[in-house]
Amino acid sequence: MTAIPIQILGASFFATRHASADDALAGAPREHTAPAFPLLVGRARRFTSLVTQLHMEVLGALPRLGAEQRWPAVFATCHGEIHTAEVLIADLAASGMVSSAQFAHSVHNTPSGLYSIATGNPAPTTTVTGENAVAAGWLEAALVARESRQPVVLSIADEPVPAVFGACDEAGGVAAAFLVAAGDGAGDAGDASDPGDAVAARLVIGPAAAPPERTALLLARAASAAARRAADDIALGSLGAGSALRLQLDPARVSS
Amino acid sequence: MTRRQAITGVAIANGLGARSEAVFARAFAGEDGFRPASDFFAFPFETQLGIVEAPDERGGDFPACAGTRLARVAFASSRQLRPAAAEAARRWGAERVACVFASSTGGLEQSERALAPHPSLVAASYGGFTYADHSADAACAALADDLGARGPRVTVSTACSSGLRALASAVRFIEQGLVDAAVVGSADSLCRTTVFGFHSLGLLAPVATRPFAQDRCGITLAEGSAYVVIERADDDSAGRALGWLAGVGASSDAHHATSPHPDGAGAERAMRDATGRAGVDGAALDAVFAHATGTRQNDATEGAALLRVCGPSVPVTATKSLTGHTLGSSGLTGLVLAVEALRRQEIPPSLRASPVDPDLGLKVVEAPTAARLENILVNAFGFGGSNASAVVSIHHGGA
Repeated sequence: MTAIPIQILGASFFATRHASADDALAGAPREHTAPAFPLLVGRARRFTSLVTQLHMEVLGALPRLGAEQRWPAVFATCHGEIHTAEVLIADLAASGMVSSAQFAHSVHNTPSGLYSIATGNPAPTTTVTGENAVAAGWLEAALVARESRQPVVLSIADEPVPAVFGACDEAGGVAAAFLVAAGDGAGDAGDASDPGDAVAARLVIGPAAAPPERTALLLARAASAAARRAADDIALGSLGAGSALRLQLDPARVSS
Repeated sequence: MTRRQAITGVAIANGLGARSEAVFARAFAGEDGFRPASDFFAFPFETQLGIVEAPDERGGDFPACAGTRLARVAFASSRQLRPAAAEAARRWGAERVACVFASSTGGLEQSERALAPHPSLVAASYGGFTYADHSADAACAALADDLGARGPRVTVSTACSSGLRALASAVRFIEQGLVDAAVVGSADSLCRTTVFGFHSLGLLAPVATRPFAQDRCGITLAEGSAYVVIERADDDSAGRALGWLAGVGASSDAHHATSPHPDGAGAERAMRDATGRAGVDGAALDAVFAHATGTRQNDATEGAALLRVCGPSVPVTATKSLTGHTLGSSGLTGLVLAVEALRRQEIPPSLRASPVDPDLGLKVVEAPTAARLENILVNAFGFGGSNASAVVSIHHGGA
């Protein structure tokens, strides 16, 4: 069992089918609502997929994340630009060609690139993907925070997998962003840290137990607990053979 | 205390060969691995490609997902890593060995085959298309199982910097005590979308790529896989080290979705991050294995950054003139060739670079060149302005 102490300095959440994280947890639906994603303006908004728009929406709403910040960022997505892939393949089937604009937006790190351009932030970003992307993203963010000794932006988003791929795990698009710093003096939250509202937490690597909840519920629980400063113990999913990651929020143990 | 990691295993496959020995022999002899693109698909334009001649391993001792082109490319060389991975697992315990895998296109070729079939392409002949075929992490899981790496498993996808970004993640795992060793690998296979896509952007070379040449005209795409085993430094791993990973750096351009920053500022930051972590001054590097895609813009901006970081005297080579651009695997492809260069004390050439673009001001290596090599910088830059650099060294770095 390995525990990595962290602080959560802010959280934001968006779902196309739920008005809030608490509504997502309660199963209260809404009509499909597209993200406004004001972080991107003008031509930068063109050709963006839902998953990119979801990332931009929660990043734009993340407390303390101003245009002047130069923090590293970790992006996590199970499926990446899966709708763009569908469009490219459909173009290939129909015309034998692909659109240059769609191709330019087809890589998994399209959102991180657009985020760094929109904010003028030259700090490193990375993108983790695959079925364990939520767990891998949290782990990566915690380790980057400890290494860089500054807060790290963690953005997690997924759009529904198009039916042509024969897999669909979410009813709508969902995203959450978190500002993560190292805990217990292992890093430095810098001017983003206010001991009065940082939520102490830890990531625990241990034996795999029950499968994790759906991504929408995972993200809603983490965002809701961080916003309410409530204790919670959230299974984030597998990290590999026999091990899994848990996020344990413990506001009573606020680090100084 | 040193922060360097021992590189205790390498493996590589690409158009030069499906086994490391073949790749090394041809690369250091100054041969390329290119073929007419028509060997892959009848594209309505001229270009060349690096194509892996990997056998179909289904039914052998390879994972079930080996029916996809991505998996065939990924596993073409990975079996050669088994002894090094097994030794790392024996030394540290299998749970203390992570697996970090990188890919840009993942299983897109298999999705194309299923969803955009073409009469000239053989239809997928095994068990039908599933979504798992599209993603890269099925290959990551299979690789971890095959190599006995039972620690944390992560799949990284940052376009053409993916391989070196995966390496950075693995280094963090080791430096922060989560594991003691990691299998780090990358693979990308050719697919129609990639070839048509780069052509649509006007970046594809109609003939074999000529990085750094005055009349360079674009990229030669390729497929390939590359792997390293890295381990925490101690006397045991030092005894098995082929070389040392001295530092991995990264940055974002924050400039454009597909074009590099015009003055190479992002590339420069990544290089300075890597050399700073390695404790090696840029001018003291013995060689640079550049990203060098062969496009006018990439080579010019990277060249400008290299001049600022290293000056005009450090030898620079473009391994993509040998292997082609293996996309998400290009960073580790360059790094594995750099480790072999340290072993041979020889720099592989930049083919077809003559006459070198005088505006670059770089010392381009145009023929296989024996040299005293202690520290080599490797670059990998990608869409989204994602930059990564790494320094490999023959030196442990002190205990």
